[in-house]
Order: sequence, then C-alpha cells, then structure tokens
Amino acid sequence: MNKILEVKNITKIYKMYNNNFNRLKEIFTNNSYHKEFIANRDISFDLYKGETLGIIGVNGAGKSTILKIIAGVIEPTSGKIIRHGRVTALLELGTGFNPQMTGRENIFLNATLIGMTHKECKERLKDIIEFSELGDYIEEPIMTYSSGMSMRLAFSIAIYSEPQILIVDEALSVGDAHFAAKCTKALRDRKKQNMSIIYVSHDLNSLKLLCDRVILLNHGEVAKEGNPEDVINSYNFLISKLNDKEEKLVIKNSENSSFGTFDVEIKKVTIIGEKSNSNIISAGENSTIKIDIYSKIDISDMTIGIMIRDKFGQDIFGTNSFHQKLNISFNSNKYYICSFQMSLNIGVGEYSISAAIHSEDTHLENCAHWLDNATSFKIAGTVDNVFAGICKLEPKIKFEEIK
Amino acid sequence: MKHNILLAFSFAFRDFKERYVGTGLGQFWYILSPLVMIFIYTVIFSDFMKMKLDIVDNSYGYSIYLVPGLLAWATFSTIIMQLNTSFFEKSNLIKKINVPMYTFQLSIILTETFLFFISILLALGFLIIVNQPITWTFLWMIPIMILQVLFAFGIGVIVSLFTPFFKDLKEVVPIIIQLWFWMTPIIYLSSMIENKYPFLLEYNPFYWFVKIYQDIFLYSKSPSFETLWVLIIMTLVTLIVAGYLYKKMIATIKDII
Repeated sequence: MNKILEVKNITKIYKMYNNNFNRLKEIFTNNSYHKEFIANRDISFDLYKGETLGIIGVNGAGKSTILKIIAGVIEPTSGKIIRHGRVTALLELGTGFNPQMTGRENIFLNATLIGMTHKECKERLKDIIEFSELGDYIEEPIMTYSSGMSMRLAFSIAIYSEPQILIVDEALSVGDAHFAAKCTKALRDRKKQNMSIIYVSHDLNSLKLLCDRVILLNHGEVAKEGNPEDVINSYNFLISKLNDKEEKLVIKNSENSSFGTFDVEIKKVTIIGEKSNSNIISAGENSTIKIDIYSKIDISDMTIGIMIRDKFGQDIFGTNSFHQKLNISFNSNKYYICSFQMSLNIGVGEYSISAAIHSEDTHLENCAHWLDNATSFKIAGTVDNVFAGICKLEPKIKFEEIK
Repeated sequence: MKHNILLAFSFAFRDFKERYVGTGLGQFWYILSPLVMIFIYTVIFSDFMKMKLDIVDNSYGYSIYLVPGLLAWATFSTIIMQLNTSFFEKSNLIKKINVPMYTFQLSIILTETFLFFISILLALGFLIIVNQPITWTFLWMIPIMILQVLFAFGIGVIVSLFTPFFKDLKEVVPIIIQLWFWMTPIIYLSSMIENKYPFLLEYNPFYWFVKIYQDIFLYSKSPSFETLWVLIIMTLVTLIVAGYLYKKMIATIKDII
C-alpha cells in the first residue's frame, strides 16, 4: 500500500515564559528563559491510502496537538510531516462561517478556506446542499440556523471537499442520530474511494466500527499501536487506573443508598472484563463481578444478589444465589469473596451494579446489607457480531427458498 | 504559494464585495468617503477660509496641495493599523485552518490598493473641475503609489509581528500614526518647518512619498531619480526585514495567539 502521510519523529515542546518579553528575547538571542511543557514526544507513524487511523488517549495526552501539527496549523519543535495529498482538517466545524451571509454563500466561503477551488465548489454545490438536508434554509443567513444545522452544513462541505486525508476530531457527535449515522456511512464510502481518515474520538464504539488501526497516546507519546480491539483494551486499562481513586469515593458518598443491619457487610464490589482487564467491557465479553464481604455474626441460609441497571436506572438484569439454589452461610469475623461470572450480553452504554445480602429471594426479608450503585462499568464495542438494542440475543438465521 | 496568493485575491475580492453588504448605498460607500474628504477640504480651506498658496495660480491651490497627501495618508495609515491587529482578528481562523497568515495580510493590501487607486481617480476628477492641468507626468503616480503600498505593507507586517507579544502595541500604534501624521507636511507646507526642524523632513519616509504627490498635483513635476532610488531601497529593505522577521517569528506567534 502507498503511504499518504508520514509523521516522522514529531516533538512539540511548548515553552513557558514569565512574560512575552523573554519569549521575544529568546527568538533573537541564544539565551534560554523558558520552562518546557512537552506536548508530543517523538511521535512517528504512517498513514496509508484508504486507511482509517484512530487516535485515542485521555485528556491532555497530546491528541489535539498532533492533529494540529498534521493539519499544519502549528509548527512542530522538531520532526517532519510529509503529506502526499491535500489534508482537510475538521478541527472545529464551521470555522470561518460568516453569520450574516446565507448558507449558500458560506459554502463558497468555507470551501475556499479549506482548500477547494471555486470551480470544484460550483460542481459539488448541489451535493453539499443535498447532503446537509437544509433544503430551503440554504438561502437564509447562517445566524438563523440552529447549531446542529450549521454543523451539518460544515460537515457536508468537508466531506465533499474530497481531500486525500481527512482529519476528524470528535465531529461525528454532530446533530441527531440520523445525521450521525449518515456521516458514518459517508466516511465509509469515502474510505472505499481510497480516502485516508484520521479519526479522533472518545466514542470507543465508533472507533471500533470505523478504524483499521488505532494509536494510543499517553503523556505525549505513542503508548500502543495496533488493531482497534487491543489498543482500546489498553486504553480502558489506563482509564480504570485513573478511575481507581474516584471509585472509592463514590462508594463512601452513597451511604444513603446503603442500608441494612450491617451484620454481614459488603465491603467492595468490582467488575472486570476478561480481555479488557478493566471495567470497560465489550458486549459479550466474559466478565467477573466480585463482591468482598465481611461477616460479624454466624448466620446461615443467606442470599447474595446483584442487580445491573442502565444509566436511566432501569433494571437490566438481576440474579442471586437463591435463584441459583446455592446455600450460603457466614461465620463471624470472617472475610468472603463471592463472584458472579458471566458473558455480558447487553447493549452499549453505561451501567451500575447494586449488590445485596439478605435471606430468601428478595432483600425485603432480613436485609443484612443493600448497597446501591456499588460500582459502575461501561459496555463499548462488541466481541463478535455488531447488534442493536439493549440485549444481545443469539439468533441462528436461516434463509431458504419456499418450494 | 501560488494557491495562497490566489486565495489572497479571492479574500480581497470577497471582502470588497461584502464590506457594505446590507447597506442601502452598497458599493457606493467606497467612493463616498474620499469624495466627502475632498469636498470638505475644498470648501473649508478654499471657500470659507480663502486660504491660497502664493506659489500656484489657482484659487483652489491649497486644496490641490491637501488632497493627494490626505488620500495617500489615509491608505498608508489604514494599512498599518489593519495589519497591526490582523493576527488578533484572524486568530480563530489561523488556529484551525492551514492558511498562512500572509495570505490574510496580502488580501488587506490588495483591497486597500484598489481603494487607493479609486480615490486618486476621484482626486483627478476634482482637478478637472478646478481647472488644474493633468499631464503625462501624472503617470508617475502609479509606480509611486505601488511603492508606497509596499512600504506600508512592510511596516505593517513588522508591527503586526510584535503586537501578539505586547498587546499594548494595539493601542500605541494608532497614537504613533497620529503623531506621524502631524509631523509630516500634509496639512501645512514643508517650507514652514524645513529651517527649524529639517530632520522631520529628511528622516521621515512618508515625506518622501507625499512630496512627490504634491509636486505632481501642483506643478506636474516628475520625481528626481535620486528620490526614486531612496524610495526603492527603503521599500526593499523594509520588505526584506519584514520577511526575515515573519519567518523567524511566525511559529512562536502561532503558539501564543
């Protein structure tokens, strides 16, 4: 495959000065007056024709900086960018729109700014308007548009500028679900026509769907590069480490949703995906929910249960040891671990886990401890086949001709 | 490079078209401002105050002296002041789109040059009305005006490169421009200060330009080759310095705006 973009040993150091006079002095003298902040350290990668490359990383990892350097908006401190084609960057949609002018006039304005000639723009005008779905609004000034409408127009212009390399920074969150889906489809079509895309997003799901390869940036360096699944798993691991501190706080704060006799107490609830090694899990991934328990008394015939809820508080799935016909007894002053292992066949989204210890089949009977929102996890991407909705049923599809 | 220069032309063209969009008189405003300027100075100085220049035989002599200087100064100062704040005005664009800053600066120059030529054409119309002869010498105006615009471009770019570092320059530059105006013989005659403050004339680059315009308008007198050389060298040096500083400073400026 042909390389379309070569990023070679890019380092970007922001110099920080006490005042601008020192900054100016340094340009013209050999003295140094600055402290350094390294935004990118020795980043190298290639982009091939027709490839979609994802870039992920936590906030401040240097994603925006490297994008700006590739787009040519800022200069690297050292290293080199070799571009074998036109780069169009959607760093911020709708840059350079003039609110006083109509949508149609703004198409010409914006298109010349991102590198189209007047002739190209005329040829594609119809397609752009059609794609934006603005209809008659195209003759109205931009200032009468809703923000979603102007974003739609901006994205339409960008996609029809037909660059060899398109840089998309969180742009697909534009507009409603319908338009987002249309954008994703348009990007895929462009990909088939050999356009290369650099895609930056925190939406792990769309990264997995769109990208051929993903680069993980951490502290300005390339931490990992490879197929989306692996890299996103290491990203999730990175995030879960960041989350660790906060997680403990959440449990402490949720005292009001924690009740019971506390004779038997839930100390901690964790969930971990088998592959991701963190609480960000692919749909269908084999995962383990672990409940750490401490008992103050001797008691038998108890039940340990869990409930998974989505972000709207809706019960998604719940089970307990009573339903599974498991008899549980505690001895005083002993620690226990109870684990639930299962494939998380549920849809993409954020979920919380509540756990409880009681007797019989509901917590209404003799509740030792009920802990709401004990922990949370996120489903992003799927293990095998993509599906829609909140649960992953596993149909066998048959297709045959009727005689 | 070629694309960026073409882009500058298209920006300038668009800016020219759009500056008065939505106004009742539209593009007519471009002519109105120099027209009013010429009118005021003619009526006030020549009709009301009856100020005359002894050196020429025309009752509108003083107005003829004033008009080219004022129009040239208007262009000169507008260019420098617009360039001075150009980085701030375009910061949202250059931070997000890979269009070099000089494209925007060039487009300012193109628009202003065009307007400069229009205003001088109006001034020639005024000369016809007051019966002042227009000769072939007036063709000298063209190269001198271009040189003046280039010189203003150089100065403006140099100033604009320092403004992002020192925001005070945004306020300081207009004041300096105003002082410069009153230190140049535009309203008054150079003979009034040439004995007392000769350095104000000799070391004032704009005086070299304005003197030529005034000589052409009043006496149809061509500029001397010595003056031409001074102007050409001065402009070239300014442009080279501007280019050197631009190259050296632009990367840092992109980091701080």
